[in-house]
This record gives sequence, C-alpha cells and structure tokens, in this order.
Amino acid sequence: MAPGRWSRTATALAVGACLALAGCGDDPAADGTTTITFWDDNGGPARTPVWEHMIAEFEKENPTIKVKYVGIPIAQVQQKYDTAIAGGGLPDVGGVTTAMLANLAAREVLEPMDERLSGSALDGKLNEQVVDTVKATVPDEKLYMVPLSTNLGVFWYRADWFAEAKISPPANWDEFYSAVEKLTDRPNNRYGYTIRGGAGSISQLLEVLYGQSGIDEVFDSSGESTVNDPGNVEALERIAGLYKKVTPEADVTNDYVKMVAQFDGGNIGVMQHNLGSYTDHVETLGEDKVDAMFVPAGEDGTRTVTSHPVTGLGVFAAGEQRDAAFRFAEFVAGKEMNTYWATETGVLPANTEVADAAGLEHITRAAQVLSDPGTTLVQLPYYLPEFNSITKTDAEPQFQKVLLGELSARDFLDEMAGKLTEAQASYDERNGG
Amino acid sequence: MSTVTPTRPAARPAPDRPPPARPNRAIRVSKWQIYVPLGLYLLFTLVPFYWMLVFAVRPRGSTSLLPWPVSLENFETVWNGLGFGVFFANSLKVGAAALVSTTVIALAGGYALARYRFRGRTAFMVAMLCTQFIPGAMMLIPLFEVFRTLELVNSLWSLVIAETVFQLPLSLILISGFIRNVPVELEEAAWVDGCSRLRGFLVVVLPMLRPGLVAVGSFAFIHSWNNFLFALMFVSEQEKYTIPVGLAFTLGEFSVDFGALAAGGVVAAVPVVLVFAIVQRYLVQGLSAGAVKG
Repeated sequence: MAPGRWSRTATALAVGACLALAGCGDDPAADGTTTITFWDDNGGPARTPVWEHMIAEFEKENPTIKVKYVGIPIAQVQQKYDTAIAGGGLPDVGGVTTAMLANLAAREVLEPMDERLSGSALDGKLNEQVVDTVKATVPDEKLYMVPLSTNLGVFWYRADWFAEAKISPPANWDEFYSAVEKLTDRPNNRYGYTIRGGAGSISQLLEVLYGQSGIDEVFDSSGESTVNDPGNVEALERIAGLYKKVTPEADVTNDYVKMVAQFDGGNIGVMQHNLGSYTDHVETLGEDKVDAMFVPAGEDGTRTVTSHPVTGLGVFAAGEQRDAAFRFAEFVAGKEMNTYWATETGVLPANTEVADAAGLEHITRAAQVLSDPGTTLVQLPYYLPEFNSITKTDAEPQFQKVLLGELSARDFLDEMAGKLTEAQASYDERNGG
Repeated sequence: MSTVTPTRPAARPAPDRPPPARPNRAIRVSKWQIYVPLGLYLLFTLVPFYWMLVFAVRPRGSTSLLPWPVSLENFETVWNGLGFGVFFANSLKVGAAALVSTTVIALAGGYALARYRFRGRTAFMVAMLCTQFIPGAMMLIPLFEVFRTLELVNSLWSLVIAETVFQLPLSLILISGFIRNVPVELEEAAWVDGCSRLRGFLVVVLPMLRPGLVAVGSFAFIHSWNNFLFALMFVSEQEKYTIPVGLAFTLGEFSVDFGALAAGGVVAAVPVVLVFAIVQRYLVQGLSAGAVKG
C-alpha cells in the first residue's frame, strides 16, 4: 500500500473510531425528570425481562422518575460492588442478598430502611420471618434492604422416572435413600441422584446434614458450632456414600451449571437445589416430567430446613436520588409487582399479601412447608463476614476429598466447625456479645 | 622387455546424488508422525467448537448430537433478546480503536527504540517487559480511579485506553525488532534523495513492516475483543457492554441458557476466527521476524 493510502486509512480509522466512541457519551438530562440507576445483581435472559417489565410499570406510575437498568452477571456482582465502593460509581439502588449484606453494611454503603419502611405502604406487609432474617445478618440489626423474596431448598425429581419405577416421592430420609438406589440404572446412564461436589456445594450439604440430624442451631448456647455434631457426621457419611454408587463419578466437580446440565439432560433422577431453578427445568424437560419435593422429614416426622439468602433491593447511601430509589424499591416489593416477581422467578415472595397469588403450586407448597409448625428453620450465619470464605474457599476442596475417600467425614466437619466457632467468637467480641 | 599395459583409468566415483525419487518408507513415516499428532490436536481443539455449534443451532429441548435440524432461535435470543447486536457493535468499536491506537503508538515508540541510542534504553525495555507480569485484576482499582478522575468511567474510551496500555509493551518490542531488521541504509538513501525522516519512514520502512503491523494489530484487536474484566468494571451501562459481558449474562444464579450461551459463543468467535484466517500468513511472519531476529 502506498504511504499516502496508509496514512489516509489510519487517519480515517482513527477519526471514525473517535466519532463512534464519542457518540456513546451521556446526554445531560434536561427534561426535569429524575433518573436513578439500578443494578440488577442477577442480570441475564431469565431476570432482565422481569425487571424491564417492573421498571416499565414503575415509570408508568411515576412519570417523573426514570430507571436506568444495568444488569450485572451474578458471578461478578460482588466484585463489581467492591470496585465501585473502592473507586466510586455505586448505583442509586441495587439488587442485594443477605449473603452479601454483612459485607456491604460493614462498609456503610447502604442506607437503613427501617424508618422509611415504617412510614410506607409496605409497613406490616412484609413477612416477619424474612425481615428478621435480614436484620439478623448485620450486627446493628437494622434493615439494610427491602426484601423481595426468599428461597427454600428443594429436591427436583423426575416424576416420569418415579412413575416408571412405581415408587412415590420419598416422605422421609430412608425412603429417599431407597428411591435414589432404585432409580439408578448405570448401563443406561441413569443415576438416581447427583451430588454437588464443586462450587456452591456446602450450602446444599448443610441443608442435607441438618435435615437428617434434626439439629436446629448452627451454634449451641456456648457458641460452639454444631456442624461436627455426631448426628451431622453420620448424615455426611451416609450422603457421601452415595457418590459413584448412585451418582456420576464426575459429581466431585459438579457446580450448578454441570448439575443442571445433567438433570435437564435426562441423566439424573433427583437433584437438590432450590425453588429458583424451576423455570429452567420446566422449559427443558416439560411440566409433566419434573416436580418438587422438599427436604424429607426425620424419623419423628418433623422437618428441618436451612435458611436461604433473602433477595431484595438496597438503597445506596451515597446516591443523590435516595427518595426516588426507595420509591422504586417500595413499588417492586408491593403486592402487584411482588406477585409478578414470584410468579416469574419461582421464589417465595416477601410480601405476605402475595402468598396465595403466586399461582405456582410448588410455591404454595413451599410456603406451607415454611409455615408448618413441624418445620424447623436453621438460620445459617450469613452475618459472619468469614462465612463465605469458610464455606467456599476452605470447605469446598475438603468436601471433594471426603467424596474421594481422602478425608474422613469427622475430620472435615471438625475443621469446618472449628473455623465457624472461631468466626462466631470474633463476631461476638466485635459486637460486644 | 617389459611391456606396459595401459590400464584403464579407474572409473570416477559417481557424484553424490539425491536418492531416486521413489516412495520412501522413511518419508511416509515422517508424514504420519506429522499428521497423526496434528490430527489428534485438531480433534481436541475442534470438539468444543463442534459442541458449541450443536448447542447453538439445535432446537430447544433437542438432545441431537448433530447440528440438524438447524434452528436460529438461540441466535435470535442472543441478538435481539440479550442485546448482542449492541454488544457486538461496542466490541467492534473498542477493538478497532484499540487496534489503531496500539499500532500507531507502537510504531512511533518502536522506531525510537530501534533507531536511536539513548540513556536508559535497556532499562526502558526491561520495564516494558516487567509490566507484562502484572495481572490486569491488580490494576483494576487504580485504573478505575484514574478513569473516574478523567470522567471516563462508563465510556468506551476507558476500555480503549486500558487495552492500549496493556498491549503496548509487547507491541513496542515486536515492532522495534521489526524495524531493526530494515537496513538503515535504505532510509539514508531516502534522506539523500531529499526525504525527511518521517517521509523516509513512511516511504521506505512502513511498507516493509506489514507482517509486524498485522501481528500487533490483530493481537490488539483480539485481546480487546476478548477482555471481560475491564468491560464489566469500567462500564455500568447496559448499552455500552461488550460481547464477553453479554456472554456472562447467559449464566444466571438459577438459570443457565446453554443454547443462548453457545449461540453467543459463536457470535463472539466468528470475528476472531475471521481475523486469524485473513492475517495468519502475516501473523507467522510477523512474530518470527520481529521476535526471533530482533
């Protein structure tokens, strides 16, 4: 190419790129409307359309407020918040869960919602158990978010496989172990159960352990963790004994994506997860082939379930449009939008007016399980800043060793219990407990 | 009387000739030695692509192992539903701008490194190399603060600048190696003919740098096309996200849309594959000439 053409091409490219990139700048709002930025902590094809609908409804009802939607991929949301806290640029309102609330509240970036809620249309309308769970996440027991929904552990199962094998969905743990064995047909690549051995394994494991042992607190009255209670050790030995017997060998590295791929791909009879994956299974397998059962009951007929993170909206203290941000949070937690939210996402609504309106049978059943006097809710210590690192960074690789037979169930649980006890002691010391 | 019997001169030894051109076992074996490992490697590399293609084009709910019947449903979902059309355009803008800025700056800097002797030149080169050992994630907060001060957060310019900064050290070293291989006498001849240094560079040196420019430009483009971290952290507006961020959207907490993920992967891979297909000849020349002989 001749030099003249080179330089002309380079100049044209540079000018073109400048113009194209410059075209993406912000136009200053000049029409008198208030614009708030909302970060969706679980952006994607499943949730984004739900939020877009709710935002459209909000803007219809509040024509002077515009909501700028920003979807954040769930896996990076903590990092995105951390970067914005350190470098600036937090939104006015954002999706938060109790799993990240302790961290955000400790850095004083969220505004407490207690006063605003007491004077709002939501006063007395939010599920008390959900509100208490949120408040228990932080040392000052303030409500740092407007809760939208919570979740419940579910065992998704192939209704057609159970019908084929002529067995009923298990009502207790013995029936559970018997059913997953009966459903296993290894030569035909059918496995009765799948164990989550990879990322995110421990919260599901804790549900299975406490569900079997029936222990109702993670810490006893002296502050010692009950994770390594003999009942939990026995439960772990039993569930880990299923590995490779009624589960695929690859389960040792099973994260959520692989687990769902196996279940929705038609290789698994029972998969432990929570209400949130309902839409995915129904879309892939069809409504008639998949159903939900809850944590099986113990020998005495009572049921023990663990708490799940509560999802909601936090109003950021540094935002200049906090009133508008709260109005948005209040709107989406109201009866109409919370009904829509629960129906579309398949989770338990936080607004008590919604309970019967969600229209999904498994949600109604889940709400009944939670409110059943025979159900005990074990509160997992999401308030401990170390809880995530203990249950993810530290415990996940160790659990894989248990599955592979390289570490005993007792040693594994002793180690986790020691770290939880230590974290609880530090927490008590910091908060004058 | 003795008679001398003339002896026939000994036949001259036949000169060394290459072996006759007939099928040779040794050659056949060496071909197998080349093609079998290459074939296995190709299989290993292409199976994930095939898998991605199958997931992308097969209808929802299908468990077929073949990409047939073809359905464009997933592509429609990612292009229209997830907004990949916008993400694609953003990635193109950032990639093109990063390509231009990296190449232009690397040319200027590489020329200085190749043609001038100045104090601290070696230290500068070492410092350039050292920057390659710093992971991008470590620079996240400092860069964020710099861009915030410059009011470039939420602007695609932040991505272009960050990409250029991270691509420049390697590009500078490559280009300077390339320029060193162009005899300075050629430039001197141009100066004697009345060219300025810039004109001499444009007329004589630049045309000979094509492989190097292609190598540097394609690396800059592909790196910025694939960068996820900066695109997610420096931009907080849906309509300014790039393709890698769009791909992450398909992985939700409770939902993984494998069809959309695969279709998004195909959309993301096509430009990179095309760039490689077009420039691969220059790329190999560029890398070998710039890096080995430099």
